[in-house]
Amino acid sequence: MNGTRQAELNRPVDVKRLRDLLQAAVELELSTIPPYLCALYSLRPGSNDEARLIIRSVAAEEMLHMALAANVLNAIGGEPRVTGVAHVPRYPHELPDGVMLDLLPFCPEAVEGFLKVENPQYPHQGAGPGHPLVAGRRPERHLARAAAVVGGPVVGGTVVGGTVVGRPVTSGPATIGAFYTEITDGLKETAAALGEQALFCGDPARQVTREYYYAGGGSPLPVHDLASALAALTEIVDQGEGEPASMYDADGDLSHYYRFKQLAYDRSYLPSDDAGAPTGPPLGVDYGAVYPMIANPRGDDYADPGLRAASDAANRTWSALLRDLEAAFNGRPETLLTAVPAMFRLRDQALVLLANPLPHSGGRHAGPAGRMRPPRRRRILSPNGPMAAPPISA
Amino acid sequence: MTGAAGDGAGDGTGYDVVIVGAGISGALIAKRLTTAGLRVLVLEAGPATAWTFDGYSAHLGHFYAAAGKGPESAWPPAVGAPQPDTADVRTGHGYFVQRGPDKYGSSYTRLLGGSTLHWLGVCLRMLPEDFELRSRYGVGRDWPIGYHDLEPYYREAEWEIGVSADVADQAHLGIEFPDGYDYPMHALPASYSDQVLGKAVNGMRVTLGGQPFALRVRSYPAARNSTPRDGYQPAGAVDERVDGQALARDLGQRCQGNTSCTPVCPVQAKYNAQKSLAQADRRNLRVIPQAVASRVLVDPVSGLVTGVEYQHYDSPDSPRHVRRTARARGYVLAAHAVENAKLLLASGLCAGSRVGEGLMDHPALYAWGLSPEPAGAFRGPLSTAGIDDLRGGAFRASHAAFRFDIGNDGWRATTGAPDTSVAAAVSGRRMFGSGLRRHLEETLPRQVRFSVAVEQLASPGNRVTIDPRYVDPLGNPRPVISYRVDDYTLAGMAAATDVYQRVFRQAGIEDHTDPAEGAWFPSATYEGRAFRYHGMGHFAGTHVMGTSAADSVVDADQRSWAHRNLFVAGSGSFPTMGTSNPTLTMAALSLRTADQMIKELTR
Repeated sequence: MNGTRQAELNRPVDVKRLRDLLQAAVELELSTIPPYLCALYSLRPGSNDEARLIIRSVAAEEMLHMALAANVLNAIGGEPRVTGVAHVPRYPHELPDGVMLDLLPFCPEAVEGFLKVENPQYPHQGAGPGHPLVAGRRPERHLARAAAVVGGPVVGGTVVGGTVVGRPVTSGPATIGAFYTEITDGLKETAAALGEQALFCGDPARQVTREYYYAGGGSPLPVHDLASALAALTEIVDQGEGEPASMYDADGDLSHYYRFKQLAYDRSYLPSDDAGAPTGPPLGVDYGAVYPMIANPRGDDYADPGLRAASDAANRTWSALLRDLEAAFNGRPETLLTAVPAMFRLRDQALVLLANPLPHSGGRHAGPAGRMRPPRRRRILSPNGPMAAPPISA
Repeated sequence: MTGAAGDGAGDGTGYDVVIVGAGISGALIAKRLTTAGLRVLVLEAGPATAWTFDGYSAHLGHFYAAAGKGPESAWPPAVGAPQPDTADVRTGHGYFVQRGPDKYGSSYTRLLGGSTLHWLGVCLRMLPEDFELRSRYGVGRDWPIGYHDLEPYYREAEWEIGVSADVADQAHLGIEFPDGYDYPMHALPASYSDQVLGKAVNGMRVTLGGQPFALRVRSYPAARNSTPRDGYQPAGAVDERVDGQALARDLGQRCQGNTSCTPVCPVQAKYNAQKSLAQADRRNLRVIPQAVASRVLVDPVSGLVTGVEYQHYDSPDSPRHVRRTARARGYVLAAHAVENAKLLLASGLCAGSRVGEGLMDHPALYAWGLSPEPAGAFRGPLSTAGIDDLRGGAFRASHAAFRFDIGNDGWRATTGAPDTSVAAAVSGRRMFGSGLRRHLEETLPRQVRFSVAVEQLASPGNRVTIDPRYVDPLGNPRPVISYRVDDYTLAGMAAATDVYQRVFRQAGIEDHTDPAEGAWFPSATYEGRAFRYHGMGHFAGTHVMGTSAADSVVDADQRSWAHRNLFVAGSGSFPTMGTSNPTLTMAALSLRTADQMIKELTR
């Protein structure tokens, strides 16, 4: 029995399932961004310059990963979604590997969380104790959609480059890396079964390319066949975890995990260092020079009307940004041009919240909630199309 | 950071080339020579404080903390490498010794990266006619090379620097591009004020010297990153750290519209020469910052340069230093138009030639007014467009050419707005509360500013000299500047003033230009009219190139006539400057010089 037949027996070709997995990947990458941005924006000006660069560089690469995952999804005829309650992360947020993501200011617990997110070896187990402020929390969505999707009927290990990667039998993949392995294997098998052209049937015009996308940390690869899809997915895994058995990715950049290890050690890795403690110059990490944001801000419980308005403004900008991104992932990549000022606006609005202490919160400050809000209506829609709002009184 | 820029080239002798100066000329030559396998030592007089992003951020902090936001506010000099400061123009104190009769109003930066750390980033090519002013109009000098000799190097310079522009906009006034060529990045989006003014002005006709011109608001080629064209990767911030991680490279890959290009782009979306230096073949490069070249040594028989003596200081805050000598086969002075001349004079080089003579600038006028509608002041890069249709024409036989930069920064440069606008409303007009707010909302976005850059020709009386009575803390001569704005330029200012006033009228802009109300600038008088002018930082013409040793210091390759293994690079070589910002032309000349050196040194 040849390999293709074997795959068909073990796993019926299912393009829809691959699309679901890739949609889960888009959501997974999106969900890591707000925790990084909260930590980043909580840094007081004039402090933590190295921490700012490190967190920013990782956040930018997560944005790239989201765009890459969207490109792969588009290449196989999917429609990436990043708006709507089903797709926008709410915090605490649980990742497929059981890691719990919280919105926290820059603090040791936040760094600990980042290390878990980016740890290539993170075992499948419940989230750790986390920040005292979030003790006893329950995730808003007990298991991310990604985990539900991948927790399918797959049994046994997967062969990756001649190595068998072990996996729990009934739950989802143990690591994010294994989650992506699931996708790459699925793409290979499905391409073999259906034919590459049949699988990669997406409209090339839907690809987000470097003309419109930039965030540093690499360029989005246009995906149009199996090789480019695998290259895009390799970039995602490689930047996060490093090359197999290396602290560095293929571009020679320190992987996310080791970048964050430097924050934990308050010291940078020199090129001559191995994975133990770094021996480079100190980073000047200063957890005191931070706006002490409450954990997982909700916004709608702010008593102060000014803060509520500021929170609402930030939510609206976040929502507008996500709508721009979704449009960009669905055939209008030029929409990324308007997403750029939205990102600056979001930062400025987050800083307004972060700079403000909340009454009766033990000195904690407000923060952005990252909730999806509908667009502000300028016109009232009627079944017959848009029309001017009627006067309130005659 | 001795050696941090790469010490693969060893630290003793054995260099092929010593380059004095790590500004754009030195950096481009170093990049090209090292890439060709030549071993290069770069001596930079200033510190390398901006070489890491951390250090660069400290400069940003200087800018934030400075009360005045002049071009130098982010870049304080070292004791051992003092530099001119535009704030000294009025007092007459400072690094320059100003002999007059007029004040020279420009400054430069002595740091690794040079004045590109604070430049605006405008990358105009010179016009073909700028190279042949004498032949065409009977004024100035002709260059020993023409536009078409330099054109391939303009293209290379545009890709080395990373210039954002569209050929479709720039092919005018005789500027030609080969078929199929375009700039590495698309033109930056037009600012709102460019659009508002464009609507009002485009197509407007003026007559100058009997010749009709149609005016148009035209986007500037800018050394700021925008959307790349095929194959071009915009270069982000320089972050040369010992741990090699360079995380700040991710910053600055696109312009963010911070409106502080001069004096400092917070994210390095604007090109600076450190980017080119960082791209050099580092195995063949050694950079020694805080190394002030004090004398060029020459073999008296052959006339060949045998070494460069330099003073290496440990601390930017102290004049304590040691003397060393750097030796190589070839030498390049790329220290700045003024510093090159100073060093040649102090070393007694190029004797009998016209070293130091022919100093130029673009003495510039400000014009400011209130547009009838909000024009989006204070948004976007400082300037993204201008009106440059009057850069060329037969009128140049009788007066200077000129061009208008359109500012996106309201009256900031001219009156200190918006702060002074608030102060004037509060203390002058007794406004407060919501009335004050309404007033500011109503007026600030309508502020329009033109900068009128006027051509200046080289005249022998305008010069850099040295005088043993005036030395800096290391004992090196301070530049002694003699300068006069002559009638050719003043007549150009008069013509430019008439044109800007017509443009304002056409656009319904209420003219508020009142030098008495604005910031102080030196003035010069012509036919009873006083013109307040400021420097554009466009130093040129101190070691002019020509066709023979009799009338020039260097040849068309920027090689010294008297010392054949010495190249003197930069805008100091310009016989004329036209109305272009000199940097792109300087970069093109540097690349051309580098090619010539490679041809000879790798033989």
